[in-house]
Amino acid sequence: MTAYVYGVVAAGADVPGVTGVGSAEVRLVAHDALAGLVSSVDADGLRVRRRDLRAHLTVLERAFARTTVAPCRFGTVFEDDEAVRQELLAPRASELAALLVRLEGRVQLALSVDHDEETLLRGVVAGDGEIAHLREATRDAGADAHAARVRLGELVASAVEARRRSDAEQVLAALAPVVETVDADETPWGHVLKASLLVPADVVPEVERRLEQLGAEAGGRLRFELVGPLPPTAFAELVDEEAAAWA
Amino acid sequence: MAAVATRGTSSNYLQRAPSPSGLAEVVDVILDKGLVLDAYVRVSVIGIEVLTIDARIVIASVDTYLRFAEAVNRLDLTQTETAGLAELRDGGKKQEAKGAAEGVKEKVGREHDSDDDDDDEERSSR
Repeated sequence: MTAYVYGVVAAGADVPGVTGVGSAEVRLVAHDALAGLVSSVDADGLRVRRRDLRAHLTVLERAFARTTVAPCRFGTVFEDDEAVRQELLAPRASELAALLVRLEGRVQLALSVDHDEETLLRGVVAGDGEIAHLREATRDAGADAHAARVRLGELVASAVEARRRSDAEQVLAALAPVVETVDADETPWGHVLKASLLVPADVVPEVERRLEQLGAEAGGRLRFELVGPLPPTAFAELVDEEAAAWA
Repeated sequence: MAAVATRGTSSNYLQRAPSPSGLAEVVDVILDKGLVLDAYVRVSVIGIEVLTIDARIVIASVDTYLRFAEAVNRLDLTQTETAGLAELRDGGKKQEAKGAAEGVKEKVGREHDSDDDDDDEERSSR
């Protein structure tokens, strides 16, 4: 039976009382001090459904609510339980144990920052004489103002991009003193910033406080969305200690 | 877990949720994140790629410029409440404005986010 691995926890941790991918029962496969959070999947007929994506995260969230967990990526499978022990838990034992120590008491927050477009554009028009002038000139003009309109839009787009950059920098600078690690995603076009934050669990209210303060200071230009506490999926990285020691 | 308690905060600038609500957000958290191990087989998840199409393909273009121009032209600077931009805002479905820069990823994500009732959307692997 193929073993689907959600993540790694300390041996003896509570098994989350939920079903996993393919509605299969979740169990622990232990080796010494570590255990994989595992459920069985039928390798020959594995059909991945959308609900399985949610199930993967739900298992991690439930485990995370009880103990420290090092999440695996969605779709991590080993040939069987023995392979989880022999290919994952045994050979990577020291790295995994070190990772669990690093992640202990930490939570992940998914931050997404957007502009309130109207407030943003008002600021852009107010802050640039040429934009304000072109706006007036093209506002009630007909089709012959096409070139001026393109020029206006180009100026606005570039002002918006400059604003996006400086706002993203300002947000990261304001959070830097309280956030341990930032994993910035590539910012989707039109957004200010998308990032995963790793913070000690008791620092979450301080992150919220700082974001609210940033929002107030920006006069409604910035909107924040903060999801979590989540299991630290963006920060589960194994460090080869031997290689690190030689480096 | 679809039930997500979103609470506003005193300032209304910050939206909080304990857990991702949409499928696109779930994918953001689990798909390209987590332990990468050399000795494992990744399940190939056909159909997931479409969810992660990057919004980068929406590049700045004349079309985009014209939409920005239109957006500022519609601004009524004499009023604090304007309705002019409302139609740029993705039909008002989302509370925050995406406006001229609506991302492909969000559109795709929302279209595919028809909850877990997905028997007709099964993907087989291998």
